[in-house]
Amino acid sequence: MYLVEAKALADGELAQAPSTPLPSDRWESFPFSRLSHHGSACCDLAREWVIAADYAQLNGGGLASGPRWLRQKYKWGPSAWPMHWCEVVRLDTIDCGAHSALAHEVFAARGLTCFPGQLVQRYSTDATDQWRGSWEAAQSSCHWLDGEHIYHEATALLVGEDKLQIWDGSAGTWINPRQGRGYGSVAAVRIFADAPLAQHPGFHWGEQRIRPNVWNQIA
Amino acid sequence: MWLAGIFPQGHPNLLAPAMGALKRIAKPAVEAHHGLPVKVPTFVSTDLPDWDLHAFCREHNWRVWLKGPYYDAARTPTWDSFVAARDALAKVWSTDRLFLQAHVTGYEESVMLAAYRGELLDCVSMRKRDITPEGKTWAGDIAPVQPEFGEPLRAMVRELDWTGGGELEMVRDASGELWLLEMNPRFPAWVHGATIAGHNLPALLVEAAAGVPARKSQAQASEFTRVVLEVPVREDYPLPPLAEPLAGAVGHSMKHPSGLTSLAERLHKSNPELIELVEDMSEGADGAPQLPDSFLHDIGGYDLAAVQTPQFLYLDSTAGTLFERASQRARRLSSNEVQVVSGYSIKTNPDERLIRLALDNGFLAEAISLLEVQKALEVGFRPDQVILNGPGKWWPEGMMPKERLHAVFCDSIADLDRCVAAMAAGEMSSRHVGIRLRTPNVVSRFGIPLDSPMTFGKLVDAVARLPEDSAFGVHFHMASSNIGVAQWWHLFESMLKWCESIERLTGRTIEILDMGGGWFPDDWHAADDDRFARAVERVKAALPGVRQIVSEPGKAMAQPSMAVAMRILEIQEHEDDYVEAVVDGSIAELPMFAFQPHRILRQCADTGALQPLGRGKTHLMGRLCMEHDIVASNVALPDGTRAGDVLIFCDAGGYDRSMSYVFGRG
Ligand SMILES: [Zn+2]
Repeated sequence: MYLVEAKALADGELAQAPSTPLPSDRWESFPFSRLSHHGSACCDLAREWVIAADYAQLNGGGLASGPRWLRQKYKWGPSAWPMHWCEVVRLDTIDCGAHSALAHEVFAARGLTCFPGQLVQRYSTDATDQWRGSWEAAQSSCHWLDGEHIYHEATALLVGEDKLQIWDGSAGTWINPRQGRGYGSVAAVRIFADAPLAQHPGFHWGEQRIRPNVWNQIA
Repeated sequence: MWLAGIFPQGHPNLLAPAMGALKRIAKPAVEAHHGLPVKVPTFVSTDLPDWDLHAFCREHNWRVWLKGPYYDAARTPTWDSFVAARDALAKVWSTDRLFLQAHVTGYEESVMLAAYRGELLDCVSMRKRDITPEGKTWAGDIAPVQPEFGEPLRAMVRELDWTGGGELEMVRDASGELWLLEMNPRFPAWVHGATIAGHNLPALLVEAAAGVPARKSQAQASEFTRVVLEVPVREDYPLPPLAEPLAGAVGHSMKHPSGLTSLAERLHKSNPELIELVEDMSEGADGAPQLPDSFLHDIGGYDLAAVQTPQFLYLDSTAGTLFERASQRARRLSSNEVQVVSGYSIKTNPDERLIRLALDNGFLAEAISLLEVQKALEVGFRPDQVILNGPGKWWPEGMMPKERLHAVFCDSIADLDRCVAAMAAGEMSSRHVGIRLRTPNVVSRFGIPLDSPMTFGKLVDAVARLPEDSAFGVHFHMASSNIGVAQWWHLFESMLKWCESIERLTGRTIEILDMGGGWFPDDWHAADDDRFARAVERVKAALPGVRQIVSEPGKAMAQPSMAVAMRILEIQEHEDDYVEAVVDGSIAELPMFAFQPHRILRQCADTGALQPLGRGKTHLMGRLCMEHDIVASNVALPDGTRAGDVLIFCDAGGYDRSMSYVFGRG
């Protein structure tokens, strides 16, 4: 997420909306994060390395295994955007946008169908206040914090015909599709699919149905 | 099981399955699982010869579990850990009949059931959400069992006429497939966790048996966790004293076998026929290995009575056939665009007879030192048939041939810079100059590392410094016998990806690909051409500039080509049929004893017949005064074996020969 663009979108969205009945409304027009490429050897090398290293670490395991090695390489924390390939490989802390962008790249390079994913999660104002403190200290945008809700990015993987699994690269875990309303629970999910899957009537994520390109409210 | 033994047909007051049902769920075969949407991970009985067990471990990338007949499992990632775990488990269970089962990676989940006289009363599914270091459930979530599992489960319970609790332990792999690890004839430890979620299965079982309606259990949550509680100890039931630390031992460790193991051990001893349950599944094998006819033919050609032991025996026709077969395979795999050629790794066994066979069969010679290059040239290789490799390629100084070599692979960036300088100064010349890649994710000290974008960047920069008038190439090497066959092929795919990246980033075309090695003979020779033909096609597709593929079978050539003959010096019988026999050979002649089994033959002193040694309670002790000089464990000496008899350890022509050392010879 580009800081300036993100902030403008977030503020603009908020100003236009007369009320916010859904926590995801604040992030209605938010784009998902992508890594930038300098168009030169520096980023070529970094990208080639990430893709080849990802395949190497599979060790003969299933292609649909989550790339936990990326979570082992990177801590989760504030990042500056835009972020280039040659930059991300030199960092040791990255935010959820960078985690999910990397996971998306490696799943796609393994030949799997995957989608950038956005989530709204419920935490507590105590938690979001603490994160606001760390993000402000790092002079990073706090556009992702809103009261007890947070905006989060993840990667949705298509399994079989129409089943989804959602990989939370920042945590190094698959998100449980069985959701309550507790701490860390998922309030809404949006995945971005291009044609022909953009018209899909709804993928199965556990018992939930996820339509592409719109926010899906989770019970 | 003990109860079932007393009441084989069951008992009205006994809410447990009958013997017939127990037999059909015995681990790990779980015969009764048919119909359930699960697979069972491959397993073998440890009745098989060691040779075959080693093959099973290689086939499954050494991700295997050694399991006791009822309980207990140990991961055995190496041969010596397998041998040690087998000894320990066999002692606990008083049987050699254990199982070796392939590991399945994934998330663990279970289904608990309660049934009464073949009627499924309820079942519930649990996914482990937190686990103890031993892999036991600490927290979990509970969900209803899906009909596609529940319906066949109902049919299975009916067919087994099950009474009592039960648990199916499973793993769900990355592709969503369920693998059944075992079925336990009891309620699991998390039975109360399910009650929290509204499924009180023991209550339903008692209800069915007693006819007294159970109180409806209320779901409080769908997830449960355990906690550690400290509670007051009642004065009338005080704590027992702590056991005395073992004298001279470190700390207060009192590792007792777990309660279940020691209980099973007692049951097993008081009721030995119960082991029948396990024995049913093995076919009365004696653990004696199969030996190729050519071994027997070649060994039979020696006058063993006259052999000064310990002595390496060269197996002439065996070696000849191996090289010929490799040469034919290389020819079959070659085409106009890509030539496939074998490389003989001199270090695996520098015996001149083998190097000559390599030369005669169109191999290239792979050397890791200038002494090895010299040896190859002495046997008759031309310099342009020699590949120079490894970190010691400049040793000993001053022996680098002036003529053009076939290929040189640089082991580090410093080595690469030295080679570039030497070639510029005319001190070295090679048709191909390339790099050896360090295998990422598999520990290795060799080659140029790829473990970070920075090191990868240095590699790319270094390749740019290689002379343009030599063709570029890549070499990688990892012992397939250590990492396993499937993992080796994954590594091969992974290496092709790195090679593609290197081509894109450097603009240099890879023209020679040298792939090693360390193949276990059976894996190399038994694999059909198809697997290798597919690999050649993969290389062509990924790296269209490759003109030559050098494949290094490594010890697959050398290992079967020699055996070690030794004589029995004395035989000592101990309690419980344990026998210790001392031989005049030792681990100095068999330094690979910890890494691979050796097939052993005894020559009958009366008939001269060669008899393979099966499994038994004899340990063969080497002649060295070293505690770990045990050249074979758990073998059986044929009847009539006596001091002076000759034993032949086959499969000793690889590193056993080249790494054998002089010790205890005065
Ligand atoms: Zn860049």
